[in-house]
Amino acid sequence: MIDVVFQLITFFMLINKFEQAEADERVVLPKDQLAAPPLVHRQHSFLLNFGYLRDQKGVIIDPKPYFFFGDERAELASVRSRLRQESQYYKTTGTDLAEITVEIRADAEVPTGLVQELIQMCQEEGIEFQRFALKATQKATEY
Amino acid sequence: MKFRNRSNLTKIQLDMTPMIDVVFQLIIFFMCTLKVSEPEGDFEISMPLGAPNAAAVSDAQLPPFKVRLQAGADGRLAALTFNGTNLGSGESAFAKLNSEVLRAVNALGAIGKEQQEKQEVEIDSDYNLNYRYIINAIGACSGRMQNGTTVRYISKIKFAPIRQQ
Repeated sequence: MIDVVFQLITFFMLINKFEQAEADERVVLPKDQLAAPPLVHRQHSFLLNFGYLRDQKGVIIDPKPYFFFGDERAELASVRSRLRQESQYYKTTGTDLAEITVEIRADAEVPTGLVQELIQMCQEEGIEFQRFALKATQKATEY
Repeated sequence: MKFRNRSNLTKIQLDMTPMIDVVFQLIIFFMCTLKVSEPEGDFEISMPLGAPNAAAVSDAQLPPFKVRLQAGADGRLAALTFNGTNLGSGESAFAKLNSEVLRAVNALGAIGKEQQEKQEVEIDSDYNLNYRYIINAIGACSGRMQNGTTVRYISKIKFAPIRQQ
């Protein structure tokens, strides 16, 4: 019995993903078969969760999309100051902004224009991020 | 020398109860923290500073392949075009886009492999189109899966300027 129990512990330890703690479950990602994890681990990146408030069944309860920062939520316009802070942080640590990847976890139903506005905001003077990764879940269908 | 009588030795019983308790606590912890989620991946988009619009200077010698996505009133895909050719709407449109991109990339092969690698795709979408279609379009332009491996078509993907509502 102890052997089996240890096997179970090992199993749960291996399949547990503590890395994705930043991923917000309210965001329903789009799916695509070619969305693959990066081959090389990104040294400098930060994540933006952009989605809708949903009920327990996953139905959208507020038509306005928000950015989720843990328990806090913000609209697109108020994200600018956070991006500026993030950019300032990397500048003070001497990290080249061209090395930073902005990982965008946007909901499948968010209007594309808002994601484009976010990217544009990330490129404004004083923020100046250049690399972006659009998150999606992997779908196992083939063309 | 005096030896103790071996027959009088009592066997020490190891108490396993605390260890089993701890082990069960560990199992419960791992079971509770287990998140069953689909594996996530991403698509890298390169948007160099100072090149926010389509007219910006690009290192590609040829103009980018243009993928245009038009939205219906509800944010669904109404029409998908590749370099001006209408591919329809729905799932089949992305399959067609995938084969059109492959054909275009193969045609570039005649110019040179270097050009194939430099070639860009520009995604031009309506403002209110659901974001899922953009990901599908990027996926269809990026390549295809064949026997579990990825066949890469194009890796340079960018967005056209925002179309205001």
